[in-house]
Amino acid sequence: MTVVAEPVLEVHNIVKTYGGVHALKSVSISLLPGEVHCLAGENGSGKSTLIKIISGVERPDSGSISIGGSRRSHLTPNEAIRSGVQVIYQDFSLFPNLTAAENIAMLSELAERRRFSSRKRIYAEADRIVRELGLKIDLGAEVESLSVADRQLVAICRALVGDAKVLIMDEPTTALTHTEVDRLFTIVRRLQERGVAVMFVSHKLDEVLQIAQRLTILRNGELVETGPASDYTGRSVAKAMTGREVSEDRLVAPVDKDAALLLDVKNLTRSGDFHHIDLQLRVGEILGITGLLGSGRSEIAEAIFGIRPAHSGEVIVAGQSHKIDSIRDAVRAGIGYVPEDRLTQGLFLDASIADNMVASSLDSYRTKFGLLNRKRIRDSIADLFKRLRIQAPNVAAVVHSLSGGNAQRVVLAKWLDRKPTILVLNGPTVGVDIGSKEEILTILREQAAAGMGIIVISDDIPELVSSCHRVLIVHEGRIVSEFVGEDINANEIHKRMAA
Amino acid sequence: MSDPSRGSLSQINQRVETAYNAAIARIHVQRGVGRMALLLVATFVLFAALNPGVFLSEVNLQNIGLVAPEIGLLSLAVMMAMLTGGIDLSVVAIANATAITVSSLYTSVLNSQGQGAADSMTPLILLAGVAVGVALGAINGVLVSVVGITPILVTLGTMQLYNGLALVWTGGVTISGAPGGLTSMGSTAILGVPVLLLILIVAAVAIAVLINRTAIGRKIALQGANPVASKYSGISARSTLMMTYITSGLLSAVAGLVFLSRSPSASADYGSSYVLLVIVIVVLGGTNPNGGFATVLGVVLATLTLQVLSSGFTAMRLSAYEYAIAQGLILVGVMVLDQVKIKTRKRRPSTDGEKQDAVAEATTK
Amino acid sequence: MRTALGRLRGANNEGLLVAVIIVVAVAMSIASPAFLTPGTFFALVRSSMVPLVFALGVLLVMISGGIDVSFPAIAIFAAYTTVRWAKDGNLDPGLVLIFVIAMVVGGLLGLFNGVVIARFRLPTLIVTLGTQTIYKGVLLTYIGSLYISASELPKSITRLSDVHLWDVPGGGYLHFMIIPVVLVAVFIAWMLRWTMFGRSIYAIGGDAEAARRVGIRVVRTQVWLYTLVGALAALGGVVFVILGKNANPQAIVGTELDIIAAVVLGGASIFGGRGSVVGTVLGVVLVQLINNNLVLVGIPSTWQRAAVGMLLLLGVTAQALGRTRARKRPVIVQKEVEA
Repeated sequence: MTVVAEPVLEVHNIVKTYGGVHALKSVSISLLPGEVHCLAGENGSGKSTLIKIISGVERPDSGSISIGGSRRSHLTPNEAIRSGVQVIYQDFSLFPNLTAAENIAMLSELAERRRFSSRKRIYAEADRIVRELGLKIDLGAEVESLSVADRQLVAICRALVGDAKVLIMDEPTTALTHTEVDRLFTIVRRLQERGVAVMFVSHKLDEVLQIAQRLTILRNGELVETGPASDYTGRSVAKAMTGREVSEDRLVAPVDKDAALLLDVKNLTRSGDFHHIDLQLRVGEILGITGLLGSGRSEIAEAIFGIRPAHSGEVIVAGQSHKIDSIRDAVRAGIGYVPEDRLTQGLFLDASIADNMVASSLDSYRTKFGLLNRKRIRDSIADLFKRLRIQAPNVAAVVHSLSGGNAQRVVLAKWLDRKPTILVLNGPTVGVDIGSKEEILTILREQAAAGMGIIVISDDIPELVSSCHRVLIVHEGRIVSEFVGEDINANEIHKRMAA
Repeated sequence: MSDPSRGSLSQINQRVETAYNAAIARIHVQRGVGRMALLLVATFVLFAALNPGVFLSEVNLQNIGLVAPEIGLLSLAVMMAMLTGGIDLSVVAIANATAITVSSLYTSVLNSQGQGAADSMTPLILLAGVAVGVALGAINGVLVSVVGITPILVTLGTMQLYNGLALVWTGGVTISGAPGGLTSMGSTAILGVPVLLLILIVAAVAIAVLINRTAIGRKIALQGANPVASKYSGISARSTLMMTYITSGLLSAVAGLVFLSRSPSASADYGSSYVLLVIVIVVLGGTNPNGGFATVLGVVLATLTLQVLSSGFTAMRLSAYEYAIAQGLILVGVMVLDQVKIKTRKRRPSTDGEKQDAVAEATTK
Repeated sequence: MRTALGRLRGANNEGLLVAVIIVVAVAMSIASPAFLTPGTFFALVRSSMVPLVFALGVLLVMISGGIDVSFPAIAIFAAYTTVRWAKDGNLDPGLVLIFVIAMVVGGLLGLFNGVVIARFRLPTLIVTLGTQTIYKGVLLTYIGSLYISASELPKSITRLSDVHLWDVPGGGYLHFMIIPVVLVAVFIAWMLRWTMFGRSIYAIGGDAEAARRVGIRVVRTQVWLYTLVGALAALGGVVFVILGKNANPQAIVGTELDIIAAVVLGGASIFGGRGSVVGTVLGVVLVQLINNNLVLVGIPSTWQRAAVGMLLLLGVTAQALGRTRARKRPVIVQKEVEA
């Protein structure tokens, strides 16, 4: 599908820095009508910054944007919208307190600089686009009460209700199930036929290759490659994104088959999320759990850690049955958890590295007068700082100044200081640079070798292949297959996941 | 560290960058204290120069030392709440409730059993007064942590309620009577330092130890810094918030005793202008209104500064209203200045993830 | 799930509030036969007028996600300044001009609030606490601290003070000022529902960042909002002077909590994005009902403050518990949210 046409939108040599740090280094990109252009890159590669510049939310330091025949140094949100640029943000950016209809129509009402609001016009407008896209949405419902998939549909409708020439979708599939993704792709193809230039932003290779005609890959704020999607394979995209060949070498120390059971989960069920989950974890074992988004894999981990407790079933930690109804129950039972959303759930960004490291083990430093033993705290912090090779001037540095990889080590340190029996990690290397990724996996191997039981939940199959003793695949809330030892291989896992 | 192929220059750059960040962070931490110390000296010198005869008189200086303690105690109480990202508007009402309890109990014992009994029961009476303060703080704590109402609404309501109940109890008039031991304490000085000031110092040290050197204190600060991350670290919001509002109630109760020791009477309306003053002091002292950071020393210095300012205004024959204007301007001015300084900081955490990652990622390259 | 019962409760629990008001009224009429008279009713209407104007301002700010405690200071500042100017100049500019001048003064004070809050993104409670004392201090220091009695007020004001729309047989009357107050309430309701400005306020309160992204000029909207709220407070201040037939610069300040309590009880969310004029009217009526009639049913007036405090706590507790229940109910939706 090659359409020879003038680009609808071009950005030229965009540079953007935050506090002296380059988020984008001279990036240029052009979008053609009727073409799906995928912007791929790991977390932190600058994708979101680029989107914000195109949508006028952020101002570039230098460079220019050409749209509708005029070239400017930057856009305001209103100019972008009036030029036909629409963005579907990852978090949808909807108003939870307004109805679906009003959310959909608000943008065009504003763009038309209306002073007055008319319920009739709003519903007519919303209804038109919903019909046009062949969707079903309860327009009178408040967005707060809609499901995530419906919210996304509202966001799509809002973006298309005006005369969108450029549609940017920022990680649109994160919250969707497989069938919902298919439906989304159908809509995208329909838009393409209407001549809309679609920019599809993602870090998931299979999706990118499935939907895109053109591919642009960002790495560390730099445009590393761009070209027709047909020139790429999953492997070459991954290589471009990470800047190195993906290694699938297994670096797994053997685990004793008769090693003591650390975790024995029996018949764990949470209706709607997962059913009859049985899993065991032995001393020194690294267990991988994977599955598609929405398969229930994260939910299982969250139930074990008490974030959203299971409805029934049993969790036995080191031979003792524990009732886990809250995070505190889980922590007391000896379970640690490194969350996927490190910035909000894992770290105290404005606190020092030292404060972060002891956040969950403070009680263990109490002296008999109830005060903290500061010397012991200093010692263990210094030890962890060195052991995890955290790159920072000292332990007093504030965490938000750290890179993704170093920040993740701080989260790890927080749990290692508590010395849990079992450590559960959800997406342990998301948004972490390659070097740190290897080191984090090495740390996990060391901890396992020292007797900890580790569960890794991940999308990153090569990572699971290279570090796990066993890998479980979750599908629609059930464990559907298990790979053990040398049988673990990426292709098989991919195949089973999709099934 | 990640990629040895990149030159050592970038490594040096990175070191400089991170060292710079750390230095900024340290300045940020010390901001409240350094700024306040400077401001305190400056205000003092200014008024001493403008009107030395009145301002430097013994009466005036002693007066500063006598009024500062109750305000300082109330400020520490609000600081505790602000440390968790909340606020406590009920501190003055709690202090008055304590003062009224002590005064009423003392008077009724005095009337029914005579002076001797009243004197001997003074410790019990004081304890009862403090217990009332702690209990009222605990009610705030339950409403915030168990029921889950936002602190501003809770303390807005309890401020009305406690104050209203005090009105009911006193019938809206000032009641008089206070244990003799308490009032004599209000006029005693040890080595020239008023006992009341010593009480403030002891309380400040205790709170500093609590928030810096104890497990629960560190947890309170972490709770304020990021409630979600503290939940994910196994910190119980319920116990940290309970502890916070109980401590706040305790400090307010002690402030109530100080009220009584300065003048042997109590009323529901005493110190109604303190609520704003105390918030001014806490913010000026470097406390982050969004939680996570506070320094006791900064708050104590801010208390003294405001007291110096107040007596300086009096020495200059300026009215209480002019002092009020100054308070308001300081509060708004300090917040605006702080905001301008940290302007580049985040807009919204959820969308900022990527930006921060981008920043952070790039720093290590 | 919009059941019949749900509709009856109203979007912001308005239905529930009506029920509570009826229950309180019934209880009061049982406790005291004197309650069930037209006099009581019209006294309630009269005493609700000024609080309602203030409450509408508080409502607007709360919908946008803030909280304002400076409105009483703005109200008395604007009203007192205007009549003081008239008194000192020994002139009577006429009712219209009095309202206009007061509202311009109030608008300017509100503008200052708005600029500080919107431009620097500061916590609204702390800012307005600060500006409240500034306004009050400036009024009492530089403009005047003297009580202005009826005889010194402009005639156009005092003449209006005694204009009744309807003298009810059997006691009580309906004051003329009910007309502008009702008009203002209708105007605010209309503005919130049918103008883009009104919808933008809801949008900003719902999610300020999202509002920015769809092209709402958040700072500008907020500045206008606080200006409007300042003008509204001034209007309330003038109505207060007209009804009270005097101008006391120490008045009004200190009533802010009753007003905020009424607005919160009326279903507005302190987190922004929710609230209605109907709910606010009901909240004001409920608070005034209790304030006015405690004495009538044999409870000493000293209980007023405690009663309002208790009412506020009960109201927010009910809301908080309702939220917890709502959070627990749709398990599947919640899972998807966090997925």
